[in-house]
Amino acid sequence: MEKSTKCFLQQLVRRTPTRMLKATLEKWDRLTPHQRQSVDFTLPKWVITQTLVTICEENGLTMKHITELEMMHVIENPNQGTWYSFQLLDPEDDAHSVELMLFKEQFKTHLRELMRNVSIKIKKHTDEAVWIRIAWGSGFSRPNHLKPTYVVHYLQSPYVFVRNLTSKLKPLLMQSLTLSTRHQAIKDANLSGPKLMAIRDLLMKQYQQSFPTNDASPLAKENQPGPIVNEQAEARASRRRMASEAFGKGAVPQLQSAVYKLETKYRDPSNRTMTERDEPFRCVVKYSSSNILESFRHCASAGIASTPVTPLLSSILLKGRNYFVITDNAPAAASQTRQADL
Amino acid sequence: MALLKPFSKLPGLNTAIILLVENEEKLQLRLGDALLKETSVVVNVRLAKSLPLPVNERRPRIDLVVFIINLTSEPSFQSAEASLKYLDPGYFLGKVCFMVTKARNASVPTRRLDAVRMLAASLHCPLLFAEDQTPEGVFGAADRLLTILKGAAGLVPFTTPLYLSHLTRCTLPPDVDQPSFD
Repeated sequence: MEKSTKCFLQQLVRRTPTRMLKATLEKWDRLTPHQRQSVDFTLPKWVITQTLVTICEENGLTMKHITELEMMHVIENPNQGTWYSFQLLDPEDDAHSVELMLFKEQFKTHLRELMRNVSIKIKKHTDEAVWIRIAWGSGFSRPNHLKPTYVVHYLQSPYVFVRNLTSKLKPLLMQSLTLSTRHQAIKDANLSGPKLMAIRDLLMKQYQQSFPTNDASPLAKENQPGPIVNEQAEARASRRRMASEAFGKGAVPQLQSAVYKLETKYRDPSNRTMTERDEPFRCVVKYSSSNILESFRHCASAGIASTPVTPLLSSILLKGRNYFVITDNAPAAASQTRQADL
Repeated sequence: MALLKPFSKLPGLNTAIILLVENEEKLQLRLGDALLKETSVVVNVRLAKSLPLPVNERRPRIDLVVFIINLTSEPSFQSAEASLKYLDPGYFLGKVCFMVTKARNASVPTRRLDAVRMLAASLHCPLLFAEDQTPEGVFGAADRLLTILKGAAGLVPFTTPLYLSHLTRCTLPPDVDQPSFD
């Protein structure tokens, strides 16, 4: 077995928790049941690694097989690292007819044209997602399997999720993705986070939505009987309604953070030095929580945050992004701009 | 902006009506349930987040207004302070009371506790400390509130709310100067 393969296997075992390792090895199906049983998972990691290396050498497994193992582990546990989302734009006429085989072939050809030493592995997951693992090399060096890029794409949808991509290699990947999915452009969707499923649900609108209505629901209209009367029941119900309109109802996607980059003028009548400055006041506001939409919804429905919810916060769900650049309203940059009304 | 008036309506027979004002809406419902366990008088509980209340002609006369303040949160105190000005001055003759929760929490700044005591003392209102974590604590708090409520509603012979107010007026001012850890 080559040194690089050994190194890769070692890193893989080190990163994987032992109980997951057992399940993944069973799924991998490259070891005989007898070999699987011979691995003692109670021993320290380096002993497990050594056993696995011997077994792999016995079976004559190569780098290709080990990457398979890694891919399986990542598909099972996608919530690691940070996933960035991209949106494909301007589909061509035959964009909807791209199927898996064609996509596989096209993607590999396009990427290999741009970069010679690159190892690509494509696998279709049960939930219609296409998982792509790319190990990059350079013109002279072999592909580096220790730092692979992962790409998840749902065929016929305009969204792509990417993990662990350097800015140098980004244009290459973007170009081959655009060409192989028969689109004309791709742009950053400004949504990122560690939970792949949450990001996907948010972009593809796979959560329970609540639509604005002026009528209270018939249940809320009934007068509460009984000796305990809430004097402000109406205000409370409307706060809850507005909160769920802005942040969804039921279980919402588990987004961890929202970042606002402010490039607006400083406005404070009591501080003239800052207000009269021509340059914008630059700062970054970051909200983070284990489930940020849930937190915002609670704040709004409990009356801690004022309702109706400011468009700055409600556009997380509305536009499906969690990174915003806020500039003063200028006719030139109308698409990204919103009046800062905080 | 509608002032809440204590004497604009006739009282009901053997009935006491209490208004629980709490910004966080956490304790009020449990406290209301505990208050309803009382059988000797008919207790009616009304809940609010803050004052003023929406205009409602059919609202009965409210005998006691309780402001529940969570000492660990500044907005809770500020909301109670802001709500006070929507009460008719007549209420401050023994028909308002403050209830403080989480006073034993380590994250409470002593200055806030002093501010609440100062507020209660300057308005001549009783100040109660309650435990909101356990059911026993809530029952204890409800029990003490009932004692004041019966007096405020005029259901205790030979006692009036004004009398209660006078009692607190005699005892409270020196209390303000004491350090809060006594």
